[in-house]
Amino acid sequence: MNETDPDVELLARIGNNEAQAVNEMVSRKLPRLLALASRLLGDADEAKDVAQESFLRIWKQAANWRSGQARFDTWLHRVALNLCYDRLRSRKEQPLPDNDELPEPVDPAPLPEEQLEASARNELMAAALAALPDRQREAIVLTYYQDLSNIEAAALMNITVDALESLLSRARRNLRNHLVDAHDPARLRRGKR
Amino acid sequence: MTPERFTHLADAYGADLQRWPASERAGAQALLAEGNAELLEALNQARWLDGLLDSHRVAAPTPELIRRIVASAPAAAPPSFWGRHPGWLSRIGFVGAGLAGIAAGMLVVSLGLPLPSSSEALPSIFEQSDADIVMSINAEESDQ
Repeated sequence: MNETDPDVELLARIGNNEAQAVNEMVSRKLPRLLALASRLLGDADEAKDVAQESFLRIWKQAANWRSGQARFDTWLHRVALNLCYDRLRSRKEQPLPDNDELPEPVDPAPLPEEQLEASARNELMAAALAALPDRQREAIVLTYYQDLSNIEAAALMNITVDALESLLSRARRNLRNHLVDAHDPARLRRGKR
Repeated sequence: MTPERFTHLADAYGADLQRWPASERAGAQALLAEGNAELLEALNQARWLDGLLDSHRVAAPTPELIRRIVASAPAAAPPSFWGRHPGWLSRIGFVGAGLAGIAAGMLVVSLGLPLPSSSEALPSIFEQSDADIVMSINAEESDQ
């Protein structure tokens, strides 16, 4: 399996303290890792923390990486997912802040109409993803945004492929309902069954 | 593949068959080729949501985040003097051995050359007049 793992050689170079290999690993993995954490957590700062922590694990593991284990990318997703789980768990254990403590909304600078529309759609989608139950959001993020196969995603979530498909169906149904209710009904009604 | 299975997969994976399990794609294509209106509608519904999912963008990594992560790698730490010049001692030893060899060679060559008997062989610290005196003393001693 590791013969086709495209990251093994790069890991070996990092293990040999090659500075250029570090740069290559960051440019290869950071965007996907940050996107994963951003979508699962819905918080840019927390996502950055998860990305940094994940890379610390990479540096620690690089010299000891052994062929025959899981693909490196799958292992990395597992690391990032666990870090996200920890943060999602700790959020549930903390009481919600009083309204007085919420930050003042920032008045956005005026944007061209096209950008406004894209920005509104982006916020709407972010809200719809955030409203999903954690496991449904995880299933959508892993298969749709991270482009993992159903087998890889199911393995990462410790469930069967059938259970993954069930989570995906429910996630997409919930997203549809949320989007239709929250957005311009006349425009989006076409999508609701 | 049954129409029910097709609808279930469209509900789970969306309208792009490339996202579907590889083992199910051929069956899905064959079913679509029959032109079933219900299945086409299922795909349209899925495509609508795919478009909205695609519209969700997340921030790209900032240069500051990239810098911090790169700096956190052990390989990124600037190497020490000894790390930058790991062979400095051996190189110095090599140069030293070379110099010693050259000096020894010069010594051997100089010892092997015959000394001239003329005043030219005297050290340069002597003036030519001093040399004449020395040579004349030598001549007197040999006459005696």
